Amino acid sequence: MSLLVELSNVGRDFDGGRIVAVDGVSLAIEDDETVAIVGRSGSGKSTILNLVCGLDRPTRGEVRFEGRAVNGRAAWAALRASRIGIVFQNFFLLQSLSARENIEVALLGNLGGARQRRVRALELLAHFGLAERATLRPAELSGGERQRLAIARALANRPKLLVADEPTGSLDVQTSQSVMSIIGNAHREFGTAVIVVTHDEDVAALCGRRVEISDGRIRSDNRMTAMPTPAPTLRIR
Amino acid sequence: MTELTLPLRGLISRPLRTLLTVLGIALAVAGFVALTGLTAGVQHSFASGINENGADLVVSQRSAFNLVSSAVPKSLSSGLSAVPNVEAVSGILLNITTADDAANIVMAGWPSDSFLWKDMHLLAGRIPAPGDQWSVILGESIARALDKRVGDTVELQFQPYRIVGIASFSSVLNQNSAIVPLEGLQQLLSREDVFTLYEVRLKRPLDKNDIAVARTRLIAAAQGFEVGDTEQFSSSIRIFDLLRAIAQTISLVVMAMASVAVANTLLMAVNERTFEIGVLAALGWSPRRILRLILIEGVIMSAAGGVIGIILGVLTMEMAAKTNFAAGLIVPYLSGWSIAQALIFVFIAGPLGALYPAWRATRLLPADALRRI
Repeated sequence: MSLLVELSNVGRDFDGGRIVAVDGVSLAIEDDETVAIVGRSGSGKSTILNLVCGLDRPTRGEVRFEGRAVNGRAAWAALRASRIGIVFQNFFLLQSLSARENIEVALLGNLGGARQRRVRALELLAHFGLAERATLRPAELSGGERQRLAIARALANRPKLLVADEPTGSLDVQTSQSVMSIIGNAHREFGTAVIVVTHDEDVAALCGRRVEISDGRIRSDNRMTAMPTPAPTLRIR
Repeated sequence: MTELTLPLRGLISRPLRTLLTVLGIALAVAGFVALTGLTAGVQHSFASGINENGADLVVSQRSAFNLVSSAVPKSLSSGLSAVPNVEAVSGILLNITTADDAANIVMAGWPSDSFLWKDMHLLAGRIPAPGDQWSVILGESIARALDKRVGDTVELQFQPYRIVGIASFSSVLNQNSAIVPLEGLQQLLSREDVFTLYEVRLKRPLDKNDIAVARTRLIAAAQGFEVGDTEQFSSSIRIFDLLRAIAQTISLVVMAMASVAVANTLLMAVNERTFEIGVLAALGWSPRRILRLILIEGVIMSAAGGVIGIILGVLTMEMAAKTNFAAGLIVPYLSGWSIAQALIFVFIAGPLGALYPAWRATRLLPADALRRI
């Protein structure tokens, strides 16, 4: 067990400082944790997630990954390409690409040749029950399939950290459970740390740690139960 | 999937805009190819036309502004003829005029005793008889274009000429020219004491060294005048430099406009695809890779525009050369250098136009980009 991400007194302002989205947040996450960041809409939880994976830049404070301060777009991009996988509420799949290509696009630059990328993408699609959907565009997939594809893409480079911003926000209850099961499975099979931003207490309850955000600050930080046992059909290599 | 997949899909997903931008580049390249090609074509046409007459060297006015303004005095004739190894010398007078006010045509006035008549390949009729100063031999192409036959009359330089022969030539210039007796043309142009140039034929057998030696001697005999082969002669005509400069300036402006079109298209594409760029950044695409993505789009459009432009340019030249007023004076001339210049342009202008949009794409914070859906 070692420290994976550390936010030290991080703040993020918008509109020239008139809006303080995150203020003085310090948070350390270990490499074997599952963390739920909860809070109301506009509480600043998604902004914290963006800062954790370098999608946004802190106005104040410092973000460290595996013990090293990360500065600059290129450094963050390199981390996201190899160490961090991101799942978004709205999937954020590229509509001009097929399901297979949506995974391959995350592998470009990390995995040698086109053939290797294709094999890896097909492998992931098969593991997520999407083998038959490889050539379809995202618009042709169901909501659950899209989210599974987004998770497959996030896990393509075998990341150390999987961050998910409201991963079940656009899904029905049954599909949400399936998605959380897949995320839990990734945690167990890969040893991937997981940070989930959610306003859904049921989803938060599946995580080992619950961080509550309000008005851009941490209101509580409690360790809870472990992630649920994954469904056997969704094992990930 | 390769590095090219996304740029290609990006371009295909906006077919009309891509097409219009490619067309813009193509027109710029076509303009460049056509303008430079036609300019070079005029020069080449004159050189090949004079070369066909059998001259090895040409004596002309140094740095004459245009072809017909060159003036070499008649008095040089004897001195040039006396140069060792010179077989024959013929002064000729050139003029560009209209034939029956329907087509531009080159009139060449040849002395009746010129060696040039000997190699003429007559298809019909005869060469002008001595003293018959208002008779003409038309090149086969211009005769056909004007629908003229031996015995007909054609008006040249406001003077009716009787067609006494139709001749076939290998050069387009001569195929569209009118050969007339020198004396009549001198009168019409009031240039009794000068020629446009002298064509000098050297004795055979002949090698490069013989030509060089003869050239040195001719320079001595015609001090202050230009002595060279037909290509050197056409290169020394200053109007060709002027035409080239105009063509290049216009081409540069048009190409700069094409570059701006590329920039505009890609800037709009970057704005439209902010979300896609945000996703790529979120997936770990480095700023450099995103920059490359946009640049590749620019290069693809430019390359397509370049190829289409070269084809359009050639077609434009062919069409221009077929018009009545250009036939024979302009021969399409597409040099490897012209193609290389056009390609150099597209591979500079494309990425140059794409550079700013690409740079802007890399300046986006992924979170900002993803918020813009």
